[in-house]
Amino acid sequence: MATEAAPPSNKTWELSLYELQRTPQEAITDNTEIAVSPRSLHSELMCPICLDMLKNTMTTKECLHRFCQECIITALRSGNKECPTCRKKLVSKRSLRHDPNFDALISKIYPSRDEYEAHQERVLAKLNKHHNPAALTTSIEEGLRLQAMNRAQRVRKQVNEDPRVEGSTSGEIQPRKRVAREHSHDSNPDNVSVEDEGGAGSTTGSETGTVELVAPPVSEIELVFKPHPMDEIEDIAAYTRYIKTTANASVDHLAKYLYMRLALERQAREPGTSTEDSGDKNYTIYISPTPGSHVLLSGALTLEQVNEKYWKVNKPLEMFYSSKKPLQNTPSTGSPNEKRPKEKEKDMEEV
Amino acid sequence: MSTQNIDPAASGARNKDMSDKGNKPKDTHSVSKRLQQELMSLMMSGETGVSAFPDGDNLFKWVGTLQGAEGTVYEGLKYKLTLDFPSSYPYTAPVVKFDTPIFHPNVDTNGNICLDILKEEWSALYTVKTILISIRSLLGEPNNNSPLNTHAAELWENQVAYKKLLLEKYKKDVTDKESS
Repeated sequence: MATEAAPPSNKTWELSLYELQRTPQEAITDNTEIAVSPRSLHSELMCPICLDMLKNTMTTKECLHRFCQECIITALRSGNKECPTCRKKLVSKRSLRHDPNFDALISKIYPSRDEYEAHQERVLAKLNKHHNPAALTTSIEEGLRLQAMNRAQRVRKQVNEDPRVEGSTSGEIQPRKRVAREHSHDSNPDNVSVEDEGGAGSTTGSETGTVELVAPPVSEIELVFKPHPMDEIEDIAAYTRYIKTTANASVDHLAKYLYMRLALERQAREPGTSTEDSGDKNYTIYISPTPGSHVLLSGALTLEQVNEKYWKVNKPLEMFYSSKKPLQNTPSTGSPNEKRPKEKEKDMEEV
Repeated sequence: MSTQNIDPAASGARNKDMSDKGNKPKDTHSVSKRLQQELMSLMMSGETGVSAFPDGDNLFKWVGTLQGAEGTVYEGLKYKLTLDFPSSYPYTAPVVKFDTPIFHPNVDTNGNICLDILKEEWSALYTVKTILISIRSLLGEPNNNSPLNTHAAELWENQVAYKKLLLEKYKKDVTDKESS
């Protein structure tokens, strides 16, 4: 916008070609209304530094660019001595002048600046709402990615470490322990472990023991493990256990795990007792495909096979254990419980 | 920071500069307000070839993306950049770096960009959008007189060989990493 007023007589203006050619705009004196789009209005009234509406407008004397007083003063102090818009030299504050006419124009268009600013804040708040769900999405994605990375590392770490873990005193019960077992005399896969998600009524404080498959990754299976109703298992053994383990664990593995688990719990309760005299070492395992019936499971079956053969429904396997010999005269095959050397219990790693 | 081996005149000037800035610290509210304004206009403008968004909840750190302009050797390639805004923004330039490795005469191996408007020619009027547009045009029109990557600057003359090497590097640094 050019200045309407005639230049002071003592000053000559260097006019650009456009300024020399253009014809002055007639002043509008009648009631003619001209529509101005909000966007072009905004760009006229906006300070290009703070991108907000001009406040205490200052105009550069030579190039006629407008800024908020605060913005242009800060810009001149912190940067080059030139017009931020066109790089024309601005020697000092004296190269700028206040522009009360423009301030009056703005207050005419927006009589209530507070209202305008409140509107601005609302728009920005709305933008923020859009911004934040997007930020949330990215952070969720980031979280998932990190988790996946973590998981990959955990698996790798387990593969690398020797499954035959250093011995530790099994009497020490910790809220969460990892049990990694290896039975080198066993022909079944060695590195199977079982995760016990805690049994209700446990008196030992050892509610959880985590056990994870070492390698390769296999699907997991959940099962509810209860004492056989026909079996009067005494004391701590007689509560329901919730177990999560890998689908390639066999019934034998489960029996072994149970044996170990119960021995440890007894020992924790009565530190004097050794695992040797912890009663019957041979647990037999049943499944109840229909209420009331209990089918003896062969030790060689994997849990996956059991699931497919007897269970089929998509809920945790319900299995029963008994310390008694099978009622039917069909001993479970591949009974694993030979005389167990005492060191075996040290295969339990506690973390 | 080392203070021994710098030109005393320069350091004096810099100190003065810094104390000047200290006189009138802009509160972070006005800075974040400006950044929000920029974000809004950037989202509404739909500029081709460039985009940017705050990195998470931190409004002072953005991630920008730019696509190589058509008709240049960078056509079809996509690069990510990071923009770090100082509390003195927009009176001082943000720190802009390539996050994606890029073979270019004016970008070093750490992603630092040699561009005057990000240094001495900065003006408070530049925005994220104009910065990204400038960098995008720098890709196609490098300043080979002051290269950070001399190999790229020398090879630029031979556009065919340049493009071949560029694509090889892009494949190695970007495509292969994405697929793995």
